[in-house]
Amino acid sequence: MSHAAATRPARLPGTRGREGGLSFGLDVLRAEWTKLRTVSGPAWLLIATVALTIAVSAAAAAATSCPARTVCPVDTIKLSLTGIQLGQAVVAILAVLMISNEYSTGLIKLTFAAEPRRWAVLAAKALLLTAGVLVAGVLAVGGSVLAGHLILASHGFTTARGFPDLSLTSGVAVRPAVGSVLYLALIALLSLGVAAIIRDSGAAIGIVLGLLYLSPIVVNFVSSTTWQHRIDRYTPTSAGLAIQATKGLKHLPISPWGGLGVLALWAAAALLAGAVTLSLRDA
Amino acid sequence: MTATQAPAPPTPAVAEPAGNDGFGRILRAEWTKFHTVRGWLIGLLVGAVLMVFLGVFLANAQIGCQNNGVQETGPACLPKVPIGPGGEAVQDNYYFVRRSLTGDGSITARLTGLATRLQGNSGPAHPVGGPLGPAGQRVTLPWSKGGIMITASTKQGAAYAAMLATGSNGVRMQYNYTGDIAGLPGQVSAAAPRWLRLVRSGDTVTGYDSINGRVWITVGTVTLSQLPRTIQIGLFATSPTFVRVSNFFGGANINASPTTTTAVINDVRLTGSTPLASWTGIDVGGSSQPGPPDIGGYHQAGGAFTVTGAGDIAPLEPGPGSNVPTATISQNLLGAFAALIAFVVVACTFMTSEYRRGLIRTTLAAAPRRGQVLAAKAIVTGLATFAVGLVAVLFCLTLGVAKDRREGLFVLPVSPLAEVRVIVGTAAMLGLMAVLAVCIAAILRRSAITITFGIVAIVLPFLFSVIGVFPASVGDWLLRLAPAAGFAIQQSIPHYAQVASISAPGGGYYPLSPWAGFAVLLVWVAAAYVLALVLLRRRDA
Amino acid sequence: MQARIECEGLRKRFGTALALDGMSFTVQPGQVTGFVGPNGAGKSTTMRVILGLDSPDEGTALVGGKRYATLRQPMRYLGSLLDAGALQPSRSARNHLLWLAHSQGLGKQRVDEVISQAGLESVARRRAGGFSLGMRQRLGIAAAMLADPAAIMLDEPFNGMDPEGIVWMRGFLKSLAAQGRAVLVSSHLMSELQDTADHLVVVGRGKVIADTTLADLLAKASGASVVVRTGAVADAAAVVERAGGTAAVTGADSLSISGLAAADVAAALSGGGVPFTEVSAHRATLEQAYLELTKDAVEYRPAQYRPAEFGADSEVTR
Repeated sequence: MSHAAATRPARLPGTRGREGGLSFGLDVLRAEWTKLRTVSGPAWLLIATVALTIAVSAAAAAATSCPARTVCPVDTIKLSLTGIQLGQAVVAILAVLMISNEYSTGLIKLTFAAEPRRWAVLAAKALLLTAGVLVAGVLAVGGSVLAGHLILASHGFTTARGFPDLSLTSGVAVRPAVGSVLYLALIALLSLGVAAIIRDSGAAIGIVLGLLYLSPIVVNFVSSTTWQHRIDRYTPTSAGLAIQATKGLKHLPISPWGGLGVLALWAAAALLAGAVTLSLRDA
Repeated sequence: MTATQAPAPPTPAVAEPAGNDGFGRILRAEWTKFHTVRGWLIGLLVGAVLMVFLGVFLANAQIGCQNNGVQETGPACLPKVPIGPGGEAVQDNYYFVRRSLTGDGSITARLTGLATRLQGNSGPAHPVGGPLGPAGQRVTLPWSKGGIMITASTKQGAAYAAMLATGSNGVRMQYNYTGDIAGLPGQVSAAAPRWLRLVRSGDTVTGYDSINGRVWITVGTVTLSQLPRTIQIGLFATSPTFVRVSNFFGGANINASPTTTTAVINDVRLTGSTPLASWTGIDVGGSSQPGPPDIGGYHQAGGAFTVTGAGDIAPLEPGPGSNVPTATISQNLLGAFAALIAFVVVACTFMTSEYRRGLIRTTLAAAPRRGQVLAAKAIVTGLATFAVGLVAVLFCLTLGVAKDRREGLFVLPVSPLAEVRVIVGTAAMLGLMAVLAVCIAAILRRSAITITFGIVAIVLPFLFSVIGVFPASVGDWLLRLAPAAGFAIQQSIPHYAQVASISAPGGGYYPLSPWAGFAVLLVWVAAAYVLALVLLRRRDA
Repeated sequence: MQARIECEGLRKRFGTALALDGMSFTVQPGQVTGFVGPNGAGKSTTMRVILGLDSPDEGTALVGGKRYATLRQPMRYLGSLLDAGALQPSRSARNHLLWLAHSQGLGKQRVDEVISQAGLESVARRRAGGFSLGMRQRLGIAAAMLADPAAIMLDEPFNGMDPEGIVWMRGFLKSLAAQGRAVLVSSHLMSELQDTADHLVVVGRGKVIADTTLADLLAKASGASVVVRTGAVADAAAVVERAGGTAAVTGADSLSISGLAAADVAAALSGGGVPFTEVSAHRATLEQAYLELTKDAVEYRPAQYRPAEFGADSEVTR
């Protein structure tokens, strides 16, 4: 076996060996990648993310029209990104299952036996998840904007009437589109962090969906403007989706990038808490 | 070896219990299963606590009010709201030109015009929507009202019956705030006048209309109980707030303006004993709207009158059209959404955990009749959720209503029957949603996907409807068809078609009536149950 | 109450894999029936079919003459343990037994009885998720015994048991049979059943290969052999062959001889002047008989172990 050990560093250019302490091993990344691609679930969930996002976006666009000689206060870009509301739920499932599936099958013990630095396992999962969701997000958002572009123009939302050009080259749609892709990735990371803390898939997905969907509903029922303002500014979805707005920016409770920043803070906090609990708790 | 004679078989440890049918045992076993996992009990408790927290501490808040120029908060802001004969809170503001009538009698009049004008513009200067228009601009207000009325008194909330023309809903006979009967259609004008007649006979009042004063059509006969012998009879006009809601993605912009409506009435004829010799005008309830005082009034030239009034005679509905800081009991139940997420998680996990660990095999070996297992699981989950939900609802209402009153919000009264329906119905709705979750879990068998499916199916239609992703009509259909329709059972204040309020889910209104919405949820539960049953029976465990 | 377990022509297909291919056998009361076969032979599927958990494509499985799924209080007829890990981890052992008891119309007293029978008193109120595999097996046995069943069926009950537990389990199974119950115990290791089972059902590839008593199986197995250890293997073989035996060289210093008794072999070697260090007689073991029977039915056959391939070349480099 000494022969095998000697060949190892040579196989992994770029790593400095196991003694490097905090160096992030590429092998843990590779192991997680193998784990991820050798089951069909994650791929299907990513495909579902793309399909459902585009489907709901197209449905929203198809259901909205602006008859001639009426004022239509519609943020067409935001409208064509409606599907993110559903796509985020699928992304959340993917993220939660990446951790809780291992706990429910006991595989996590093997994972931690193979890589005792648990934060590194979480980091590898986070990296791969981000990459996967970014790819799916680009497809989902691109498809949604394209669907909006094709559908909305024939529903009276033409550039001649002052509605923005929805093609991604026009510039107006770039920030909401790029932001929505990042939004999905941040929601995935937030979910991953929650799953690392909670472990049980049912409870974790419940908490994540509560975080995602409760605030926009509650804000509609709360009559206190102070609380409305707080919810709009500080909850992950309400703040994060500000990135999609292109109209009435001055009246937004939080600026588009500021809102995405709030979501990023949520995700970072969840991941940090997840890494700490993973490390402190028995597997 | 096969011939080996076995020793005497052991006597069973327990004799077959007589009369204990199989299902009772399985129900008991499932209940034992449920209450011996602490996580599930904690989950239910978390849901209940969230429900009370959101419902009581977040739902309603009154910032304060101006009383005689002094900024006040709390109970000092509690408005005086008239209560109609049916016990419901009403708006009762109109200009009335009346005489008194003792005993039986009638009033007949010809209406030749009804015009509504803006009094001003309020609402945020939002780029979406824009201003409504200058004061004095003529607008069409569907439920502006002008016509003839018989009323018990000029006190707000008094019993009445009226024949009236509306901005765009034709002639109506309305009575006691909630009653509304359609008469002749079409807008009234000098070219198309409407003759209106009310006849009092004891406690009954009959309304007629006519397009020529010769051929009369009976619109309706109503009984106003305990009508005093001497009543008020005359001409009136009133005009609700003009509200324009501009839906845009992510919300709605509301512009509102007080209005006045002027009715042109002539050929007024009275029969019966009318002791007062002349007509007198009274602004009943005063103008309920901010704006220039004394906007109501009348002008008489012989038998011809112009009557100008503002306000409304209608049941009080919460929402932006209402001028009173009101609250409904249902608003204290908004936490049901949060509770629902916790309950769905518990219900799903109760089922999926069996699949995850293979425990379902033990369960089905102990109870081979699979239909009974599903039924027992559904009943246990449903009843447990119902019980916890009921306690949470009662907490929400007692604490919430007390807080609303402390904050100076007028809590709209509801009949005891409606209150019971809201309380028990909300708990039952939560229980049914939990049963739905159990059934979906039996179909899908994986907890994360089941829970997501359950929550998204319940919550997303709501979200899309309230945040205005889709046009209102599409959003309404989503709320009619999705399991979320069951939330309609929480609606405490009925919406009347003749009231120009904004009946949106955010205001506690749903596109379906309470029981119809509940029935939609029941259909979902039944369909999911049947599918789960078929699959559970057919699939290998 | 007595209950036979009768399987008749069970067939079951999962996708393209034929799991059961005409499985037929009977488990008689009053004896321990061993249910043996290699992994994937269809033992667990058969047990699931008996319990009505999986429905067979063809054939019937009866418990006490009835389909399991039609029984009222079925655990009074047949107690079973399929998977000791099938537990809600956060539920205590006692509560696990309690819900099962309630499902059969039994009360707390019976739960406490089986807990003490299984020796679980000290851990009964602990969450089952923290149990060792051996403790889970005991809990599963307690659950199977809960309704005092006429027949009992255990899937791989020896798995994860310590030696003490295995001894206990053997005695326990024998005592159940002695009480007149039908006992069906599956295993993929014949040695576990060697001293326990009265009757054996050997299966492979979804059907019964042998349905026989232990004694018959041993008798059928190829005869005895004599093992000789010697420094002069070739000389010894020649001497033995001359004496009428058949010799096979099994190692650098060992021979396996058939056709001669041990004493004859010793005499022949001494007479031939061949030095030897050991002559020992070997009876065929149940294990050998079993391997003989199932050699064609093994689904997963490990590749021959070649140490040189591990490590340096094929596994590590890519």
